Amino acid sequence: MIVVESLCADRCGTRVLADVSLAVAAGEVAVLVGPSGGGKSTLLRCLSGLEAFVSGTVAIAEHRLTPGPQPADRLERIRRDVGMVFQQFHLFPHLTAIGNVALAPRVVRGLPAEEARDRARSLLERVGLARFADAWPATLSGGQQQRVAIARALAMEPRVLLFDEPTSALDPTMAGEVLEVVAELARGGQTMVIVTHDHAFARRAATQVIEIVAGRVARRGSPGELL
Amino acid sequence: MTVALVVACVAPWSGRAAAADLEEIRRRGELIWAADQEGGGPHVFPDPADPARLTGFEVELAGLIAKRLGVRPRFQQGPWDRLPLLLGRSADCVMNGMELTAVRQRDYACSRPYFAYALQIVSHREGPLASPEQLLRAGPRGAWRVGVLTGSAAEIEMRSRDPEAVAVSGFDGTLDSLEQVRAGVLDAAVLDDCIVTFYAERFPELRMVGRSFAGGFYTVLTARDTPQLSAAIDAALGTLVADGTLEALYDRWHLAGRQQVLLVRDATEVPPAPVRGLAELLAGTLPLLLRSAAMTVLLAVASFPLAIAIGLVVAVGRQYGPGWLDRLAGCYVELLRGTPLLLQLYAIFFLLPRVGLPLPPVAAAILGLALNYSAYESEIYRAGLKAVPVGQFEAALSLGMSRWQALCHVILPQAVRIVMPPVTSDFIALFKDTSVCSAVTVMELTKRYSVLALGTGAIVELAAVTALLYLAMSWPLALLVRRFERRWESSGTGPGR
Ligand SMILES: Nc1ncnc2c1ncn2[C@@H]1O[C@H](COP(=O)(O)OP(=O)(O)OP(=O)(O)O)[C@@H](O)[C@H]1O
Ligand SMILES: [Mg+2]
Repeated sequence: MIVVESLCADRCGTRVLADVSLAVAAGEVAVLVGPSGGGKSTLLRCLSGLEAFVSGTVAIAEHRLTPGPQPADRLERIRRDVGMVFQQFHLFPHLTAIGNVALAPRVVRGLPAEEARDRARSLLERVGLARFADAWPATLSGGQQQRVAIARALAMEPRVLLFDEPTSALDPTMAGEVLEVVAELARGGQTMVIVTHDHAFARRAATQVIEIVAGRVARRGSPGELL
Repeated sequence: MTVALVVACVAPWSGRAAAADLEEIRRRGELIWAADQEGGGPHVFPDPADPARLTGFEVELAGLIAKRLGVRPRFQQGPWDRLPLLLGRSADCVMNGMELTAVRQRDYACSRPYFAYALQIVSHREGPLASPEQLLRAGPRGAWRVGVLTGSAAEIEMRSRDPEAVAVSGFDGTLDSLEQVRAGVLDAAVLDDCIVTFYAERFPELRMVGRSFAGGFYTVLTARDTPQLSAAIDAALGTLVADGTLEALYDRWHLAGRQQVLLVRDATEVPPAPVRGLAELLAGTLPLLLRSAAMTVLLAVASFPLAIAIGLVVAVGRQYGPGWLDRLAGCYVELLRGTPLLLQLYAIFFLLPRVGLPLPPVAAAILGLALNYSAYESEIYRAGLKAVPVGQFEAALSLGMSRWQALCHVILPQAVRIVMPPVTSDFIALFKDTSVCSAVTVMELTKRYSVLALGTGAIVELAAVTALLYLAMSWPLALLVRRFERRWESSGTGPGR
């Protein structure tokens, strides 16, 4: 599902990813770990085309990314198949929970508003937030907001879901709620790449752990071997 | 407007005390006379050879009168149609082609006439207007389009005619109406004959239509409570007539000196207008003020959405477009913000006809306001776009949206909420800025006020009524927007999450 070969990426003139190669098969849950500043976020952003890279190749969900800036339509097609969940949730504050989830299917896929809302409702149910469909993001707890963000990403039915520290901004109880949802997705066979510092979760859900240190793959293996 | 309001507030207390009568003028050694040099020649205008110096027959006359009073003359600039308001405050007398009218007789002390004027119609050499009588009925293409100087006797005369026959446009500068006749925008201009003669050489394409008509006299205005000054000015004019000085002065300015001096008589031949009560005043003026208030609303309501649309395009272009577009749009914004609205209106209204793009006054006014405000709106929108966190944009993109979709569905709706308060206050500002549009002859509220104040002499009372009308229009708007804001806040979607 994902094959990265010899990926090098710069940020502000300094190399932050050097010769990164990895492979994630369909249905796998890959967990990225490593010290702060190692380049984990940059790697995820390269995978979803939010960041351009200097050399190497990325193949993801049957799309290919090449070095340098990519044409807009290719990026749009890739992102429809590659969802992203951010540490800071980034919910759209001017829309209700259900509005957040229904927006992209309506706008990008051209789904009729009614159908988009029905599907959004069942997705919210899936992340345990059926009661909060009409709540504004600002009135939700962090854990609830992150679950809405996951539902929002799922609404596009992505083949790959990328998580960048989805629980770092949450206290342990709320983090638990979110990880429960992620574990459920894993059981359902969703391909995922998750950046996290939560080793307990990694041991429980990961099929593969990749440690990134100073822009390089330092170690790679099963959770049992590495953690 | 503000000036008039302030005057309205302080008038009851300060009016009496400040008027300087002859004794104080002598002690001061200066006679301060007020005029508007924008009115032009031959009255008062900057000397073409040395624009820092004023010249004109009234400048010389002021010197002669001051000399008779034993003092030096000092010039005080003021807007022509508001000059009498300066009496007793920053000027001792007003001498600037002020026609002797019944209303002025009632409200000020009018000197004996010092000049006889008549009205002259001017048209383009190739224009269809052949005789003054034609102006009594509609022309071949509907009402004749006629330009006049704001607040002049010509304006009052032309506006008293059937609007089906004559569509009047008022200008602030004497030459503006002649320029518009030359450009073919107007069918005719009506001015004091001495002005037409004075500028004849500058406008060879124009011709006089028929002989001059509907004449009157110029008078020197003084405050009612400076009787010694009024008498001294009368006496001075008397000696200037008697010893031939005035005749020589007019001859030097090619103003038919002999005729002038024969015509100049006693001011009392014009009886003062009756004093009218507030109810009567309002009955006569309120309908007209309301109609012009509707024009003000039209200007604001038509131009602001246009300003927002242009501003939005400019802001989005600068924020998300290529570098050259940002620089180009930056120049657009700085050009429009860095020059006065009045000048932009002039450019649109007076220069576009020269390149073959004549716009009707209301269209020119709306376009000018929209362009000017689009610069401010674009800056506000740009700040609003910047205030939406980048994470929002990335979240939208990572859902597969195009940049355009992200902008329309995620960024702009949030930016709109952020910019709502400054945009509203801009709308209220634009609302008041519509008053500038009178410069391109649009009869909006402030302009109507000026004309009515001049016609009735009720400068202060009408200022208060006009100010109230503006308030009545902008206040509900402010309330409405405050309600919107509260609604957004209570739904938790306001800008400050
Ligand atoms: N916007 C930026 N501008 C310049 N340098 C950046 C930027 N973002 C990240 N970097 C640099 O890139 C390197 C990798 O950063 P990245 O955020 O990918 O690391 P990370 O492994 O996700 O760290 P963390 O665990 O703190 O999130 C760091 O050295 C960081 O200083
Ligand atoms: Mg990171």
